[in-house]
Amino acid sequence: MLAEGIFIYLAAAITILSVLVITRKNPVHSVITMLVLFFHIAALYVTLNAEFLAAVQVIVYAGAILVLFLFVILLLNLKEEAVARRYVGPWPLGLMAAVGLFLAIIVSLDSFVAGPKGAFTTEVIKAETNTKALGKILFTEYLYPFEVVSIVLLVAIIGAIVLAKKRLRS
Amino acid sequence: MTLNDLAPLIPLMVIAVSSVIIMLGIAFYRSRAFSGLLTLAGIAVAFITLFGVQGTRQVTSLLILDDYALFYIGLILAASFVVALLSSDYLEGRRENIEEFYILLLLSTLGSSVLAASTHFVSFFIGLEILSVSLYALIAYTRNELNIEAGVKYLVLAAASSAFLLFGIALLYGETGTMEFSRMSSGISAQGINKGMLLTGFALVLTGVGFKLAVAPFHMWTPDVYEGAPAPVTAFVATVSKGGVFALLLRYFIQVDMHAYPSLFGAVAFIAVASMFAGNLLALLQKNIKRILAYSSIAHLGYLLVAFLAGGVMRVTAVTFYLVAYFITTLGAFGVVTMLSGKERDADAVEDYQGLFRHRPWLALIFSAMLFSLAGIPLTAGFIGKFYIVAAGAGSALWLLVIMLVINSAIGLYYYLRIIVVLYAQPGHSEVSAVSSLPLTGSLVLVLLTVLLLWLGVYPEPLIEMIHRMTMRF
Amino acid sequence: MILIWLILIPLMGGLLAWLFSRGNDRLPRWISLIALIIDFILVLLLWMQYPERAGLTNRSWLVDINLEWIPRLGISFHLALDGLSLLLVMLTSFLGIMSVAASWTEIKERVGFFHFNLMWSLAGITGVFLSLDLFLFYFFWELMLVPMYFLIALWGHENRISAAVKFFLFTQLSGLLMLAAILGLYFVHARGTGIYTFDYTQLLGTTMGSTEGMLLMLGFLIAFVVKLPAVPFHTWLPDAHTEAPTAGSIILAGLLLKTGAYGLLRFAVPLFPHAALDFTPVAMALAVIGILYGAVLAFGQTDLKRLVAYTSVSHMGFVLLGIFAWNELALQGAVIQIICHGISTGALFIIVGALQERIHTRDMERMGGLWTSAPRMGGVGLLFGLASLGLPGLGNFVGEFLVLIGAYTVSIPMTAIAATGLVFATVYSLWMIQRTFFGPREVYLKVPDLNMREMTVMAFMVAVIVWIGLYPQPVINTAKGALNALQKNAGAMTSFGKISYPVSTGADRDTK
Repeated sequence: MLAEGIFIYLAAAITILSVLVITRKNPVHSVITMLVLFFHIAALYVTLNAEFLAAVQVIVYAGAILVLFLFVILLLNLKEEAVARRYVGPWPLGLMAAVGLFLAIIVSLDSFVAGPKGAFTTEVIKAETNTKALGKILFTEYLYPFEVVSIVLLVAIIGAIVLAKKRLRS
Repeated sequence: MTLNDLAPLIPLMVIAVSSVIIMLGIAFYRSRAFSGLLTLAGIAVAFITLFGVQGTRQVTSLLILDDYALFYIGLILAASFVVALLSSDYLEGRRENIEEFYILLLLSTLGSSVLAASTHFVSFFIGLEILSVSLYALIAYTRNELNIEAGVKYLVLAAASSAFLLFGIALLYGETGTMEFSRMSSGISAQGINKGMLLTGFALVLTGVGFKLAVAPFHMWTPDVYEGAPAPVTAFVATVSKGGVFALLLRYFIQVDMHAYPSLFGAVAFIAVASMFAGNLLALLQKNIKRILAYSSIAHLGYLLVAFLAGGVMRVTAVTFYLVAYFITTLGAFGVVTMLSGKERDADAVEDYQGLFRHRPWLALIFSAMLFSLAGIPLTAGFIGKFYIVAAGAGSALWLLVIMLVINSAIGLYYYLRIIVVLYAQPGHSEVSAVSSLPLTGSLVLVLLTVLLLWLGVYPEPLIEMIHRMTMRF
Repeated sequence: MILIWLILIPLMGGLLAWLFSRGNDRLPRWISLIALIIDFILVLLLWMQYPERAGLTNRSWLVDINLEWIPRLGISFHLALDGLSLLLVMLTSFLGIMSVAASWTEIKERVGFFHFNLMWSLAGITGVFLSLDLFLFYFFWELMLVPMYFLIALWGHENRISAAVKFFLFTQLSGLLMLAAILGLYFVHARGTGIYTFDYTQLLGTTMGSTEGMLLMLGFLIAFVVKLPAVPFHTWLPDAHTEAPTAGSIILAGLLLKTGAYGLLRFAVPLFPHAALDFTPVAMALAVIGILYGAVLAFGQTDLKRLVAYTSVSHMGFVLLGIFAWNELALQGAVIQIICHGISTGALFIIVGALQERIHTRDMERMGGLWTSAPRMGGVGLLFGLASLGLPGLGNFVGEFLVLIGAYTVSIPMTAIAATGLVFATVYSLWMIQRTFFGPREVYLKVPDLNMREMTVMAFMVAVIVWIGLYPQPVINTAKGALNALQKNAGAMTSFGKISYPVSTGADRDTK
């Protein structure tokens, strides 16, 4: 009962906060709302027995990325959202799609039966500790993807530099 | 996992390593020619090493290098090779420091190749992300206003579609307890096939993939991104990125038999018909060549889905042959656009092509050949491709879809013809025609593509035989 | 091999004409002319060897060549020639020569590319008449359209673009339907026999359900009647014919329309005899409507070229009628009508083209009294006008007459109504000649008459039409073996013969 209550609170808070993040006019407000949002997500991970993820969520997202966001906003000295042309289509369509998806999930939720569990059940993880279990699987079965993800980061770095680099006028 | 497992991954590793080599090379010596040559060499070596992979090699549960994967990786590598050749002259003078372009190009090729070899949702997702993230930067590479807008648009929509995809994967995983394609189908049959949650999962995965493939109703980004991206990158988005995703989709739905789910089948059929009509009808309204080609590619993906829905032995052959024809044609068409583009803007207005036949007869002919192939006129690869698709559809008695395809081919003809007529009209006044001389490499590439196009249109037997052998061992 | 050469020569001629066109307008014309003459001589040689020419044997294929092309799909490069294709190929190269000669001075720009398109279109048409593999047939069927599209769109008159697009869309859409039907037949055949093949000779006699057969037959039929054209699929024709350059009009009216008739004869009926039999009343009704409708519309035109175009609709109605009557007399009539219509309409288009080159209009309101200044043109025009109305002694009469006799045994009312078409034809033909060459003189008093080149062209065409009009027996003999074979293949269609009246007309005694 208590767990359910906590989950409902977290889910509701995450939903509301996400909407707030994208609707705030002031970017600083947006970022701060996002910070709160990230903490709630971290809390959700804790309730799911994923302490390692929760820690990563707080350290990487809340700690590093959002601080960078704030820096950028402060450096650019953005007070109000720059009024730009909308790139996406009319919002009622998006809303309809979202509501449709929501209903589809609600309807199909009824039929959900969890599939067969893998080797790492909650009990095994508890016995072994979260971090160790994750490390084990990441460096054995999923070693390739783990290495390949570094390429994603490489791409992102190069892409960012390429796009942001100042024009050299010789 | 052993060292032995690494051997079949050599082609993929060659691409990754050559991107690192170029990156290091740039740190010491900046030269467009040098980086370009390294890129071409890297792709060529990777292509050659493909032949060294013997038999079907499953590398962990994530990747498989069977004939199918090798064929598609080969196709992707060949297309990237062409794009690399086309872009070298195009980028010159459009921005300083163009060497990084090659790194991004190689890495997105790697992403697409990983997709073609994936048998697991994890490798699928990582491959897709490598592909998409490098495309964000590639699309906005020359940093003019159109570029940036296209890049941002692609970023937002691709990220959103990745979210859909992830959610779908999560639902499927929750139901079946596995992310391996091959085990998923047995997991599904254990669950009973018509479960709401499974279908929602499939629908979400399809949505995510649909965005990447730019099929209706997920096609809204396509014309803007095609128009905004630099012409060679547009060619890349249209071929390499879609080819990899389609290869994966086909593999997935062969392992998870789609015909067992009437609603899923219906959804894909709807997407196919909607793409054909949306693509062709909207193309009629366009005045910009890149946008026309964008809408036409939406329609072509719709045609492909018709073959995709067909069952039987013909499905894989038809889809693969059509994709090869589509690759050649699209690269050729965007190649022509690339060659004609001036430094200020791309040659993408229909007026730019007015009377092209007068001052550049060969280029006009090549462009006509490409357009005829898109329209499916004989002597071109597009004709055999379309024939194959209609055959696959007819073989599975998908008459409604075949009739839709026929109607759409006729609509499509109309706008291809409109461009062709312009090519042969009296020359107008356009700065594009003033481009002094055409770059040699680009011309050679275009001639080669045209020869391939005609060869496949007249004597497709070797390719058909090759694809057939590949599917036999599937 | 000779069949491949028949297709290759115009293809290569076209390429050469184009390659040697830089800064030289005469060379492409000569290259094309010579290539087509070689082609024509080859066909003539074939005809000389053809035993049926003298009514000797009843063998159906004179030359047959079958090479592997895409064996994986059961596609072969199968060309064959029987009497029917022989006549049509001969017509193709003949009209090809005529159209090159007729456009000698008309085309002034992009001469090389013009001849390239002309020759490739002719090669495609030849391929259509020769191919016995359905995939190959479809290949050529589509191939002949693209150059034709260019001919109309680039060298046509005022509204050329819209006319060309309309032409292309009509024919392509119907062609795609045919492709679907071809594939349907392919799979139906494979379902029954397990053999995947596109070969015509193997696909003959495929067993299929009646609705299935009807749907597949309709797929073929629509493609062919669009080409023919039959009402209500004729709307592309007046525009395309009117806007095309002279050579384009000749090929359109003289050859492209014939591919539709040929398709019906060779494919639609023999492959689906039962469905064709069921469809006969509708087809014959369409034919009769076409005959009358085309004639009435022709009468309402003021544009000379458009008038000639509408007469095609009317004349091809006779061909459709003859084909669906499906007895030997009617089929022979249809074949003769095909040839004679090709020549007479081609000649009329050449005259219209010559007139337009001289007085820069096709409007009959602005013509009149041309006989005095151009009597030769008037004379030839009158002759072909008379041919078009079916004057005995000229080829068209033989064709129409045989069709009507043949159709009479199948349906008397249809034949009666169709016969009234001849009356209309008389009205519009004479009216046309009256308005252009006689009548009050208008502004254009001095019109240069036909010159040597044009008179030579006309002389050949007059010779052929008179020859067929007076002595059609060689043509009948040539086609006989092929038509009998077709009738035999379409076993079910001959049930018409059972209810037919015994007819004898000397030369063709057995209606079978």
